[in-house]
Amino acid sequence: MGTGKFQDAETMVGAVRASGAQIVTVALRRVGRNPREDDMLGSLGELKGITLMPNTSGARNASEAIRAARLGRELCGSPFVKVEIHPNPHHLMPDPIETFEAATVLAAEGFVVMPYMPADPVLAKRLEDVGCASLMPLGSAIGSGRGLATAEMLRLILRDARIPVIVDAGLRSPSEAAAALEMGCDAVLVNSAVAASGDPIAMAAAFARAVGAGRDAHRAGLMPQGGGAALATSPLTAFLSVEGA
Amino acid sequence: MTAQPRMPAWLDPSPWLDGRGATPADVERALGCDAPGPRELAALLSPAARPFMEEMAQRARALTQRHFGRTISMYAPLYLANFCTNGCAYCGFASDRVQPRRRLEPPEVEEELAALKETGFEEVLLLTGERTPHAGFDYLLECVSLAARMFHAVGVEAFPMTTREYALLAEAGCSGVTLYQETYDPRQYDRLHRWGPKKDYLDRLDGPARAMEAGIRTVGLGVLLGLSDPVFDAVCLLRHAAHLQRDHWKSGITLSFPRLRPQSGNFSATFPVDEAGLARLVFAVRIVLPDVPLLLSTRERPEFRDGMAGLGISKMSAGSRTSVGGYGEADPATEGQFEVGDKRSVPDFCAMLRNRGLEPVFKNWDSVFRDAAGAGHG
Ligand code: SF4
Repeated sequence: MGTGKFQDAETMVGAVRASGAQIVTVALRRVGRNPREDDMLGSLGELKGITLMPNTSGARNASEAIRAARLGRELCGSPFVKVEIHPNPHHLMPDPIETFEAATVLAAEGFVVMPYMPADPVLAKRLEDVGCASLMPLGSAIGSGRGLATAEMLRLILRDARIPVIVDAGLRSPSEAAAALEMGCDAVLVNSAVAASGDPIAMAAAFARAVGAGRDAHRAGLMPQGGGAALATSPLTAFLSVEGA
Repeated sequence: MTAQPRMPAWLDPSPWLDGRGATPADVERALGCDAPGPRELAALLSPAARPFMEEMAQRARALTQRHFGRTISMYAPLYLANFCTNGCAYCGFASDRVQPRRRLEPPEVEEELAALKETGFEEVLLLTGERTPHAGFDYLLECVSLAARMFHAVGVEAFPMTTREYALLAEAGCSGVTLYQETYDPRQYDRLHRWGPKKDYLDRLDGPARAMEAGIRTVGLGVLLGLSDPVFDAVCLLRHAAHLQRDHWKSGITLSFPRLRPQSGNFSATFPVDEAGLARLVFAVRIVLPDVPLLLSTRERPEFRDGMAGLGISKMSAGSRTSVGGYGEADPATEGQFEVGDKRSVPDFCAMLRNRGLEPVFKNWDSVFRDAAGAGHG
């Protein structure tokens, strides 16, 4: 779960609990070095048994992200880092080149690197090769609520990935989370979909159930799709000889 | 309409101003449009859009929530000096206004910053008038360095500078520059800026691009509502923003909506914008620019600010003093640049936001990004 868009700390904590999330990501730019009332680390500290993953959102290039990651490790005591580099502050699309650079350096430094990335199957393998712990391709643009617009690319990423794939950004509804898990993704990361919903805690719980259902469906194996046209009365293969059968 | 000899082609709003005569069908089309632009903005600001206020508000709120969540970023202005050589007809600091002039000396700046920091702010906007021997670039640079030691985000609202000067500001820790064109209408601009360096329309117009070029992360644009036809200015503002976004894709833009307020000099608005007009402008701009932070200052009255929070507006100031030395001094010697409409304290303002289901966010930036090797250009 992302934590940046809630109306207050109580709702955020309630939603995280209801979602059953195992990892919570917190933007370093929202964390104070001197604890204060509105400091995010304070409220997140209440959440036991959850991995805290600082993110580098706000960084425009690799060197900014690397510094932020190091500071995050110091402040949160967590080796996890969500590398998030979006040089364009408006659409917040991840920069593939800078992300690759930062991931390379941070993985070598022993961080558990989880990069927010474009849904690009080649970049995915490159990031895997430099030692990332997971891949976090976007479903669609941050805050767009357009769901799994990148589904075709996600399928290619999933086919070849050796590390977990977590769909990050763009999800709007629990059914989209279920679809991502059915497809074979290992997890989803949501923030706006829960925080900007009518009832964040109820929505978080709905996501939890959807993720569970999607995972179960993937494990159970979906039936083959389509089936095409009905079988023709005279089979197309009737001409094949049965000789030697 | 008017001949605009000095307006660059990329800014010229004339092709879209027909939208002012939009029909209800045009407004509906604008509301349903996938990628609204200047034409749609003009339609949403036309008289035909008046009955669509509620629909526009709903849309604006949904878009704001989608992009900014249920949060409001908080910042505070700090007036450094009120010396000015310009003759802006609408400003209480203009050089022909009789009022005590002063600048804060660096130790006083530190006191003011400390007083602000006490109230919880992490983002400060340093303001001063035109470049003068009393308070010129070097003074501003020193103040930015002081502020950057205490605040994560430091912005500057002052005179237009050269690219090199902006680069020095960025190096000293300035992450934002605000430079309002006041009005984009060249004829009005010329009339209202009676004397001084600010008379140079094009130099001011190009200032934001120079700041971005120099590595300033966020540039604030705006017009002073009341000076000119608001539709003309709004379309220009949108075109200016689009122009900057194309040329400087790594920089952010924010937009503000200051309305002319009473000040010494008694200038009254030629094109007054009432609250409904201001609200409609904010909604319309949110609809055409869904991901741009929109600011509202304490010029407006509390009830209006309360209603607008989260309804397009995503960033607000509170507890502001617009006089030099306003935070640390019990009785500042100077008058403010404009009258503050919302005089509530920071805690009171935050309590209101929370009551409305919004979280005030004081820290939304970290100075760690500022000093990264090779800072500035990514
Ligand atoms: S608006 Fe700025 S430049 Fe104009 S007179 Fe006032 S302080 Fe000076």
